[in-house]
Amino acid sequence: MIEKRKYQTVFRRFKELFRKEILVLLRDRQTILLLFFMPAALIFFLSLAVGGIYSDVMVGRKVQIVVENQSGLPKANLLEEKIKSSELIRPVERPPGIENDRIFDYGKAQAIVIIPAGFDTGDNPVEIYFDPVIDVGYKIAVRSLITSLTAEVVMGIDNMDAVVANLLIEKTAPNKKFPDPLQQTVPGFAIFAMFFIAIPMSVGFLREKRDGTLQRLFTYPVGTNLIILGKFVPYYFINIVQFVLMLLIGVYIMPAVMDFSLRLGAHPWHMLPITLVVAAAATGFGVLVAALGRTPEQSSTLAATSAILMGAFGGIMVPHFFMPMFMKKLAMLSPMYWAHQAYLDVLLRNADFYIILPKIIVLTLFAAVCLYIAGRKIKWM
Amino acid sequence: MKALEISRITFSYNKHADKSVAEAREYALRNFSMSVEVGQFHALLGPNGAGKTTLMRLITGQLRGYEGEVIVFGHKNSDKRALSNIGYAPQPVSVYTTLTALENLRVFGVVAGLSDEKIKQRSEEVLKETGLLPYAKKSVSVYSGGMLRRLNLAVALLHSPFLLLLDEPTVGVDPQSRNHIYETLAKMNNEGVTIVLCTHIMEEAQRLCATVTVLDRGSEIFSGYMKEIDNLEKFFLERTGHGLRDD
Repeated sequence: MIEKRKYQTVFRRFKELFRKEILVLLRDRQTILLLFFMPAALIFFLSLAVGGIYSDVMVGRKVQIVVENQSGLPKANLLEEKIKSSELIRPVERPPGIENDRIFDYGKAQAIVIIPAGFDTGDNPVEIYFDPVIDVGYKIAVRSLITSLTAEVVMGIDNMDAVVANLLIEKTAPNKKFPDPLQQTVPGFAIFAMFFIAIPMSVGFLREKRDGTLQRLFTYPVGTNLIILGKFVPYYFINIVQFVLMLLIGVYIMPAVMDFSLRLGAHPWHMLPITLVVAAAATGFGVLVAALGRTPEQSSTLAATSAILMGAFGGIMVPHFFMPMFMKKLAMLSPMYWAHQAYLDVLLRNADFYIILPKIIVLTLFAAVCLYIAGRKIKWM
Repeated sequence: MKALEISRITFSYNKHADKSVAEAREYALRNFSMSVEVGQFHALLGPNGAGKTTLMRLITGQLRGYEGEVIVFGHKNSDKRALSNIGYAPQPVSVYTTLTALENLRVFGVVAGLSDEKIKQRSEEVLKETGLLPYAKKSVSVYSGGMLRRLNLAVALLHSPFLLLLDEPTVGVDPQSRNHIYETLAKMNNEGVTIVLCTHIMEEAQRLCATVTVLDRGSEIFSGYMKEIDNLEKFFLERTGHGLRDD
């Protein structure tokens, strides 16, 4: 009976310390902006901005091309028809009196395809002009398409894809290789914002120390561990709320403004253990910053700089698959890389839990190392 | 039984302080003893850096790793029963500025182990005593310096402690708030609460307190009844010197 009452008292005190921490946090508008609006805005704008770049480019966007048939003979006409009916292409007319280079200057088209006189007789080849700033991926895709269609016309093949189908089969399942914009940005910026918890966490801790409220709590007959838990567990909880909110934005809000919706993969529940350890890693990082900073200003700068750097080389700001090999290896130093890859395993690769487990272990170790160093460095008084 | 008994306390912020070194400044407190009777209003005086705040923090369990003993109403201060008897108003105003007065009192009330009903009742009482009841639901961030000091005191009074430790409770406040605070303290003392007051305002210490301890550079240099002293400020300067204390 006495034991039960003791636990009730401990829980009540913890609940109050938790409530206090949340109240203090929620009344700080800057913190709310930083933790919730910043990632939501990043997801919203960057998903729209990168939509079609590293997703399924062939479907996401059409390339504007001027197709000029200077021949007018049957093969040239057939090629023109095939090019103009391609799903990748949106044919546009050359504006009157504007030469090739000027078309690109004005942004009227990204490529020009000229079927010259003499194409039918094999005297002159098809000419392609590209806008110098066109994305390399689009350039390769358009070149392949025109090559393929030209070959069809010249060789008298009706459909090259049907012929090649017996020789080449693509085994990669759809949505298995590269993330779509939401699969990249939602977990990416949720993780990014989760690590930003280090700012309010460390600033709050150092302010409480400076104001004496933290020391004041220690003058009451209450265990040190309870005060420590009451100080840091709320931020762990907020980390989880941050992720859930970003996930909801990806699933329910983003489809209303763009063509994508966040696909959760075959095992969405695997995100639960990942989120628990990512929150632990982010909170551990926050405790470490709180332990290392001497003033709120110092800890705020340290937290923001570290989080941005971890995001930059951890594959959050620039997708990991875009990075050169050296940067890909460097990315492994960032906990955000492991967190992001774990989420991509779930969202993109439908991975089994044993595939995700090593990433969870790395994140757990990161949290443990942060807490260990912080435990040795932190000064509560 | 005494309200507070401090026996031969030695403490240094430098963990590697060498006891054999006779350099007094190595120690924040050195072989310091003091006792306060139950119901006494006791002044704890000393120049800046004398060790008053260190002593307060040590009594309230914030500092550990000292030699000697601190007994509060018969219990060592490492005992939770000792801490629950103490109400402490630290020198900096130590309240949560983004919360209201009521929310602050609730946090400290729950941590002190008071029930919800008791917190409600005592909050109203202490806010009334400190003149803050009309502002109970206002954010502390809009409080004036005097109001903050009074709230700092209200938090210390909330759990009805038997021993009140006040570290310069009127620093930086106007005479109106100061008078209000001292009237509240005198009333508490009349009701039997033992008070240890740390202050630099000598007239008020002399007017309010029955006993006094003067410490300097971590050691006691006087302990006795206030009535033995004619002019406290003169006495204080004679004992502690006229030199500036910037170290």
